[in-house]
Amino acid sequence: MQNNTRHFSIIGVLVVIFTFVVYWVLDAVLQFPIQGSTQAVAIDSMIQGHLWIIAFLFSLVTVFMVYSLFLFRRREGDDEEGQYFHGHTGLEIAWTVLPMIVVIAFGYWATVMLADITKRQDNEIVINAEGFQWGWNFSLPNSDQISQELILPVDMPIRMDMTSKDVLHNFWVPEFRVKQDIVPGRTTHLRFTPTVEGDYTLICSELCGLNHTGMIAKVRVVPQAEFATFWSQEVQTASSK
Amino acid sequence: MSLFSLGLVRAIVGQVIGTLTGMVTVILFRVLLGLPAWAAEPAWTLGAVFGIIGALWGVGIFNDWAKWMKGEETPMRHGPPEGQPAWTRYFGVDYNHKVIGIQYTVWGIFLLLVGGTIALIFRTELAEAGRQFLSLELYNNFIGMHGFIMIFAILLGVGGMANYLVPLMLGAEDMAFPRLNALGFWFNVPGSILLLSSLFVGGWDSGWTAYPPLSARGPIGYQLFFLGVFAVGLSSIVGSLNLLVTIIRMRPKGMSLFKMPIFCWAVFATSMIQLTATQLIGLCFLMVSTQRALGMGFFDPGLAGSTLMTGLGDPILFQHLFWFYSHPAVYIFILPGLGIISELLPVFSRKPLFGYKWIALSSLAIALVGFIVWGHHMFTSGYGEVLRYAFMYSTLLVAVPTGVKFFSWLGTLWGGKLSFETPMLFVLGAISVFLIGGLSGPILGTVPSDLPLHDTYFVVGHFHATMFGGFVFPFFAALYFWFPKVTGRMYNETLGKIHFALMTPAFWVQTLGQMGVGVMGMRRRVADYDPTLGGGTIEAWHLAITIAGFLIGFGVLLMIWNFFQSAEVGVLAGDNPWRSRSPEWQIPSPIPEHSFATPMMVKGEPYDYGLPEPYVVFASAATAGDD
Repeated sequence: MQNNTRHFSIIGVLVVIFTFVVYWVLDAVLQFPIQGSTQAVAIDSMIQGHLWIIAFLFSLVTVFMVYSLFLFRRREGDDEEGQYFHGHTGLEIAWTVLPMIVVIAFGYWATVMLADITKRQDNEIVINAEGFQWGWNFSLPNSDQISQELILPVDMPIRMDMTSKDVLHNFWVPEFRVKQDIVPGRTTHLRFTPTVEGDYTLICSELCGLNHTGMIAKVRVVPQAEFATFWSQEVQTASSK
Repeated sequence: MSLFSLGLVRAIVGQVIGTLTGMVTVILFRVLLGLPAWAAEPAWTLGAVFGIIGALWGVGIFNDWAKWMKGEETPMRHGPPEGQPAWTRYFGVDYNHKVIGIQYTVWGIFLLLVGGTIALIFRTELAEAGRQFLSLELYNNFIGMHGFIMIFAILLGVGGMANYLVPLMLGAEDMAFPRLNALGFWFNVPGSILLLSSLFVGGWDSGWTAYPPLSARGPIGYQLFFLGVFAVGLSSIVGSLNLLVTIIRMRPKGMSLFKMPIFCWAVFATSMIQLTATQLIGLCFLMVSTQRALGMGFFDPGLAGSTLMTGLGDPILFQHLFWFYSHPAVYIFILPGLGIISELLPVFSRKPLFGYKWIALSSLAIALVGFIVWGHHMFTSGYGEVLRYAFMYSTLLVAVPTGVKFFSWLGTLWGGKLSFETPMLFVLGAISVFLIGGLSGPILGTVPSDLPLHDTYFVVGHFHATMFGGFVFPFFAALYFWFPKVTGRMYNETLGKIHFALMTPAFWVQTLGQMGVGVMGMRRRVADYDPTLGGGTIEAWHLAITIAGFLIGFGVLLMIWNFFQSAEVGVLAGDNPWRSRSPEWQIPSPIPEHSFATPMMVKGEPYDYGLPEPYVVFASAATAGDD
C-alpha cells in the first residue's frame, strides 16, 4: 500500500507536467484561422477550455497506462499471477460523478455562449443568400441588385437569411467560425459580426453534388461607408423595417 | 466436384437470374399499361429486390423451411456436405455457429480490403493539392463507397466475433436458431454485391449519409445502394435477435448475468441497439427509394421544376430518421470492440477485471443514452433552436460511461503481471487510439465549439479514431488472440509485432493529421483543397496522412499473409496457450464439431486469476470432484 502511495505521487506529478506539455503542443500544432468575428473570439475561448481538459485527461490516462506497463511488466520466467482485487466502488462512483459534473458545467457554459452568439441585435443588417449548384447569389431585402460576391460591413451585426434553389448547402467562412446549413424549402439564419477588414473565402461545407469542391465565393469585409456605396442605396436594417 | 456445388456460386447466379426476372416483370407491366417498355429506374429497383431473393434461393437457405411447410422433417446436418472436401462448407449454407462466425469474419475482412483500397485511391489524390487523376464524379462516389463498404465490413466483423464466441463462452451447443443464423449471414452476400455493383450503374454521389434532395435526384446507383443496405440491415436484425435469445436462454447452470464473460455483455448491449434501431435506416432509405421510383414526395420541398410538386416534404425529416439509426450504429460498431478490450486485459494482466459490474452496466448505459443523442449530427442543419441545447446535454452524458471503461481498464492493469504478446499490444493500441477518439468528442458535443469543426476533417479524424480504437484494433487483437483456438496453430509473433509497430504510429499520424487539417479550415468530402491553408503547411500534412494510410494497408496485408502461412506451418498451439479461464480455452483446439463433449457448469468467477478455483467445470470433472 505504501508503495502504491509513492507510485501515485510520482504519477500525479507526471500528469501535471504532461498536461502542460500536451496543452502546449496542441496549442502550437492546431492552426486555427484568424479570428474574424466577435463570435470567433467567444468560440475560441471555449475551444481553449476543451483543449485544457483534453490535455489533462490524455495525460492522466497515458501516464497511468505507460507507468503501469513499465512497473508491472512480467519478468522473464515469472509465472505468478497478479495482485488479486476486484474493484473499488468508491473510485467507480468518483469517476462517474466527477466527469458528470465537468460535462454539465461545460454544457452550461455552452448554453450561455450559444444563446449569446445567436442573439438578435437591434441594428443587425439583413442579407439574403441563395445557394445553388454550384454558386451563390447575395442580395439585400427589397433590392433587385444581385451580387456573386459577399460584401460585408465591418463591426456591424449581420443576419444572413438563406435558402437554396436545389439541394442542401452550407454557409461557412472559417475565419468567422460559425456555420449554417442551407435547406431548400425553408429559410435558415446565421448571425455574426465581422471585425477585421479583408478578403475571405465562403465555402459550402455540405456535400452538394459534382462540383461541391468548387462551390466557393469571395467575401470582402469593408468599411461601412463602402458597403453602403456598393449596394448603392440605403442600408436596410432589421429595426427600420 | 462441380462449381455449382458451392453455395456462393449458386448465390451469385441466383442473384443474376433474380435481377433479370425483376426487370422482365417491370417490362411486362409497362407493356400491359401501354408505356414504353424500358424504364431504367423501376427495372433496376425491382431487379435488385428479386436479386436478393434469388441469391438466397440459389444458395439454398430456404430448403429446410420449404420442407417444413410440406411437413417433412429435416435433421440438423453436422460436418461438411456429403462427398465434398471439408473447406466447401465455408462456401455454402452451414448451420454450425463456428462456421458461420468464420464466414462473417472472412467476408468482413474481404470488404475491409475493398474499402481500404478505395480509401488509398482517394488518399493518393489528396496527397497533393490540385486535382490529379480522379474525376470529381468518381471522387464523390468513392467517399460514400468507402464509408458504406467499411460499415458493412464492421457489421460483418462484429457478427463474426459474436457468432463464433458467444455460444462458446456460454458453453452452448450452438446459437438458439441455427437456421436463422445462416440466413443472417447470407443476407450479407447479395447486400454487398448490390452495394459494390452500384458503381457500375452510375454510382451514388452523396457520401454515405445520402441526404436528400441530392440522393433523390442522382443516378440509379442509389437504388442498388439502398437495397444493399436493406439486405444487410435484415441481417443485423435477425442476427441480433438470435444473439439476444441465445444470451438470455442458453446460459449454463450457475451462470447468472453478472457471471458471464464480459464480451457477452457487450454483445447483449449491441444486439439491443441492432434489433431496435436498424429499422430506421431501412425506413428512411426506402422512403427516398420510393420518392425516386414512385413519386412519393416524403422529402421533396416542392421546388420549381420538381416533377413531384407536392411541396409537403421536408429534407430535414430524413436526417432525423437517418441519424436515429446511424448514431446508435457507431455504438454497434464499438461496444463489441470495447468488450474485447475488457475480455483480453485480465488474461494478459493475470488479474481480475477491475469493476466488472461497472463495465458491464456502462455498455448498457452507452447503448441506452446512444438513442437520445442523434441530433448532434444536425447542430447546423437548421432544425428547431431548442433541440440544439437538448441534444448537447444528452451527447455530453455519453462521456460518463465511456470514462468508466477507461478508468476500469487502468485499474485492471495496475498490479498485474503484464506480458506483451501481439493481442495485448493491439489492446493497448486500441486504448490509446480510442482515447484520442473519445477526447476529441466533447469539443464536438458543445454547440459553439462544434460550429467551426462541423463537417470538417476534424470530424473525419475524430470518427476514424473511434472506429479504429473501438473496432479495428480490438478486432485485430481478437483475430490474433483466437487464431490458435480456431486453427490449432500459433501465428507468427514477430510478424504480428511488426504489424502492430507499423499500424499504431501510422494511425496516430493519420487521425491527428486529419484533425489538424480540419482545424485549418478543410471541409470533408472535397476532392481538392486550398494549398495556402494552415500557412501553406496543409500539403505536407496531407502527404503524411496518405503515407500513414499506406503503412496501415501494408500492415493489414502482413497480418493476412501471417494468418495464411501460420494456418499451414505455425507451431501447434495446444489447447490453452494464453492460460485463459474462459470456457472456449478449456476444450481442444481446433474445436471439434460438437464444441462441448459434456455439459458445462459455472463454479467461480470469469476473471479470478490468482484463485485456484476454475471458472467452469465440465460434467465428468464435476462428478469426479464430488466423490
